[in-house]
Amino acid sequence: MKKKSWVKLIVYVALFIISGIIAFPFIWLIITAFKTYPDIYAYPILYFPQNITLEHFKYVFVNLGFSKYFLNSLLLGVGTAALTILISILPAYATIRFNFFMKKPVLLSILICQMFPQIVFIVPFFLFLKYTGLINTFLGTMVVYLPFTTPIAVWMIRNFFADIPKSLEESALIDGCSRFQAFYKISLPLVIPGIASVGIYTFIFSWSELMFSLSYLTSPSKQTVPVFLSLFIGQYQTRWGPLFAGSVVASLPPMIVFGFLQKYFIKGLTSGAVKQ
Amino acid sequence: MSTATKDKLILNKKNSLRYDLTKNAFAYRAIIPYVVFILVLVVYPVVQNIIISFQANGTWSLANYLDVLFDPLFHLITINTIIWTVSCVVLDLLVGLGLALLLNQDIKGGAVFRTIILVIPWATPDIVAAVAWKWMYNDMYGVLNDILMKLGIIDEYLPWLAVPNLARLAVIIANVWKGFAVSAMFYLAALQTVPQELYEAAAMDGANSWQRFTKVTIPVIRPYIITTVMLTIIWTINYFPLIFTMTNGGPANATDTFVTYAYRLAFRFLDFSHSTAVSNLNFIIVFTVAIIYTLSLVGKEE
Repeated sequence: MKKKSWVKLIVYVALFIISGIIAFPFIWLIITAFKTYPDIYAYPILYFPQNITLEHFKYVFVNLGFSKYFLNSLLLGVGTAALTILISILPAYATIRFNFFMKKPVLLSILICQMFPQIVFIVPFFLFLKYTGLINTFLGTMVVYLPFTTPIAVWMIRNFFADIPKSLEESALIDGCSRFQAFYKISLPLVIPGIASVGIYTFIFSWSELMFSLSYLTSPSKQTVPVFLSLFIGQYQTRWGPLFAGSVVASLPPMIVFGFLQKYFIKGLTSGAVKQ
Repeated sequence: MSTATKDKLILNKKNSLRYDLTKNAFAYRAIIPYVVFILVLVVYPVVQNIIISFQANGTWSLANYLDVLFDPLFHLITINTIIWTVSCVVLDLLVGLGLALLLNQDIKGGAVFRTIILVIPWATPDIVAAVAWKWMYNDMYGVLNDILMKLGIIDEYLPWLAVPNLARLAVIIANVWKGFAVSAMFYLAALQTVPQELYEAAAMDGANSWQRFTKVTIPVIRPYIITTVMLTIIWTINYFPLIFTMTNGGPANATDTFVTYAYRLAFRFLDFSHSTAVSNLNFIIVFTVAIIYTLSLVGKEE
């Protein structure tokens, strides 16, 4: 079946316009971040600024210590990703390789947990972190992220294990491997791409998480990028320049990662809900 | 059935349970730590949240729930939450499905459009989306007023985030921008499951493209639409950072939802009792949708 060329033209034009509209808020953010203050507040609005400045980036890094918040977010993200992977691998493996009695209830509860609202946990976790002395620590915040990251992690890693033929492990077992050896010598290396994508997914979750980090990381030295930005927006007469500069920098890690690995993620994300 | 066969059946069942435990010992060892973890970090907090919500003045009481349910402010917030959730979910469905259909066309450069349309809103951190939109909605320097004026849609600058109904519309639009991409990805994946032969057969029978859409595409991807809509409902009700940053529930509580209200009660007013009551009411709704969704999904897995 050959598509009529005018239909194709309409699709192109529509996609072009829609892409422009959708990209606009982000592009506008970038443009504004490079404007000088008079230009930011110019009337009429300057769509194509003549003077490009790095003053806001300089201000946010030098005067506001943005690199500290950036490092905090990085640390929290990497830690959460590592813990999530560590916890999720075995359940993911067990629920794909074995058909045991409790499999369905376990899978069910994992799926349901994934949808629990964060707000239900905000008070209990606060009391829990206070009680354990983990309030205002990265470790404590990582721990309370885990109920939200591990379910989807188990689900995603499961899908990667599912692609490994069972016969590979069976021959290893015949060759005298123990059950555990068959798991970590044969199957585990093959799901490293899956583990990597879970790690990145978790990192991004932690990177943009606001509710818990705002409530549990209370001292300024522990604040993450989203916490810093949200406090900054509410603080004084909002100083838009540094806010935009900080926002642009904050978007870089997820943009880069998702941009390069989108195919991967879309597969991992949708395979839970959409069985092909 | 004779007694002997019955006994045999019971025996078999016992054996199979023991067989299950031995044969799958590895699986149980692998799964039990995770189950314990879920119990400690999910079930216990949920129970604790319920307990706190039922305590007032040192005893068990329904007072917190009664206070909340008879509070006119809570009625307003319930209406807000319904408007917010229904509008966002419907728009996510329409925009997501529409764009998925467009992106599913086999054209040159499709990957570029896909990256722009699906990745930019999705990968933008919530807080950054809130900052970008809050600035665009600015009544004096915002670009939105300028564009709408130039297009002749409005004839004076609108104070987007300062008037209740405009603010409602503003946060909904911002959220659809941030959220439609996930729906579109699901629909795109679903569209790729529609067998090409079905379209060809329909075309042979003289169906036009609208008929092909309603008679072939929609029936095939219907289960995926239902799944995605249910997920979107859950995500939208629970979504916090955008409203919190853009309006913090204002003006005059017009954009307050269960989540922003419960959060403010807990951490602005340190009123844990009423906050937990609100979050539990929210939880009941989400839990119902989540159960329906999960059961349908597990059914599909079989």
